[in-house]
Amino acid sequence: MNSGAKRWLLVAVAAAMAVSYFSAQFNRYYLGIAIDIGINIILAVSLNLINGHTGQFSLGHAGFMAVGGYTAAKFTLELQTISPPWAQPLLFLVALLLGGLLAAVAGLAVGVPTLRLRGDYLAIVTLGFGEIIRVFFQTTEAFGAATGLTGIPHWTTFAWAWSFAALTVFVVGCLVSSTYGRGFIAVHDDEVAAGAMGINPVRYKVTAFVIGAFFAGIAGGLYAHHKQFLSPGGFDFMKSIDIVVMVILGGMGRTAGVIVAAVLLTLLPEVLRGFADSRMIIYSLLIIVLMIARPQGLFTFGRKAAGKA
Amino acid sequence: MNASLLQLEKVTIRFGGLTAVCELDLQIGAHELVGLIGPNGAGKTTAFNLITGVYQPTGGTIFFQGQPTANLKPHQLTRRGIARTFQNIRLFASMSVFDNVRAAVQLHRPHGIRDALWRGRGFRDGEKAVETQVMELLEIFKLGRFRAANARSLPYGEQRRLEIVRALATQPKLLLLDEPAAGMNPTEKLELTRLIRFIKDKFQIAVLLVEHDMQVVMGICERVAVLDYGVKIAEGTPAELRANPKVIEAYLGAEAR
Repeated sequence: MNSGAKRWLLVAVAAAMAVSYFSAQFNRYYLGIAIDIGINIILAVSLNLINGHTGQFSLGHAGFMAVGGYTAAKFTLELQTISPPWAQPLLFLVALLLGGLLAAVAGLAVGVPTLRLRGDYLAIVTLGFGEIIRVFFQTTEAFGAATGLTGIPHWTTFAWAWSFAALTVFVVGCLVSSTYGRGFIAVHDDEVAAGAMGINPVRYKVTAFVIGAFFAGIAGGLYAHHKQFLSPGGFDFMKSIDIVVMVILGGMGRTAGVIVAAVLLTLLPEVLRGFADSRMIIYSLLIIVLMIARPQGLFTFGRKAAGKA
Repeated sequence: MNASLLQLEKVTIRFGGLTAVCELDLQIGAHELVGLIGPNGAGKTTAFNLITGVYQPTGGTIFFQGQPTANLKPHQLTRRGIARTFQNIRLFASMSVFDNVRAAVQLHRPHGIRDALWRGRGFRDGEKAVETQVMELLEIFKLGRFRAANARSLPYGEQRRLEIVRALATQPKLLLLDEPAAGMNPTEKLELTRLIRFIKDKFQIAVLLVEHDMQVVMGICERVAVLDYGVKIAEGTPAELRANPKVIEAYLGAEAR
């Protein structure tokens, strides 16, 4: 994955744009799900950097997503009336990046004091953080309080969602496969030994947290401009759990597996729509069965590539 | 400043009411092989953890290359040139043999996130240099053929050796070995003795060896310090210690006479 990686990213983005060009001919329902999948890939792959590769247990991904979503939505709602129509893609890009950056700042703010904690303790703190974010948006009038934000323009196309999905996969993949990235996995395997090898565990953990939060923020922005509506309830604890399940099901630290899991778990509730009331029960049961049958993750394509970069 | 690489001055650490290490003085020269022995619970590993920054001493000072090491974290001390192995092997379990060493080699390489993402020429050359460096180390220690194997799948003796290689990959000036002979059979021990001597000469570094096995310690160390209940009760050449009644009583017992 050396120079080929950049080429791969360009091809993926071009492909996303090509598909998007013909999107008018697609069934709108299916197109919507395809965009959902792209957003969920961003969420799952970025959380995988934190929970999978670096071995931390964050339950706050929905919180970072909310920061990004609300920031981007507020930004476009305020500026779309005064900006010319031709500037719309630029405005959207800035909104997304701004959302990502603020989410990254939130990640830094949570990460620095809490990443001395391990395992369960970190999980609880990040869970608390996610709830604080949600309550903050729920009570702040400027963000629509409990009713949420409405009338967000529908700017998230297939190209936007999947280009950023490709970018997320590229960034996480490149980081983890480089010599620099051994540090993440070393921290995952054994923090004390990592420290003894000159690797600063806190630094790596914070880095993983900030990068993960950044992409969660981007995903939030895409989500806001896809659903055209944001409510604090959409970013509750269950949303974080959904993303964690994708990571665990795909196999911690295995990007390809996590992508497949994100696709499957986005499709599954849609496929089960016919079962109406019992839908969530079947969904939960399927996850339990999968976890019992494949505790190491659904898609373990052998060990992580050993030796070669 | 004199030539001593590591200097402990009246280093003390208390855990509640227990004084694990008490006013320990110890010096290690730049190219010296020193042993640290003592019965179980004598404070040997604690002394290691003090030197490597895992614990901060409650009293006394540690100097490395003339600089006090107070408040430095383990990774900062490694950067300055102190590397270690662990009593209970702590390899990176999900990584290959190659990657275990690669994780340690990165310490002295300049590239970071930006290079890893941009993947320009500098990055590629850097990664190639890392690979060469890792393979060189693995070949010196006859681990090259295991490069793609998972680290924890190696035979026990090889895991110990890999841990030493990984520590050497950080380019230390002082290597601390925590009971490297534990669980080894006599043949492996003999091989280990040779290996330690080889490392000291080839890499021109100092070695501090904590060890239970008298055969190993007495065989290779130029100087040995004896700890008992956190206090240094003797220090000298192996021959001197064998004749020291205090050491015999506390540790060696009748068999060593």
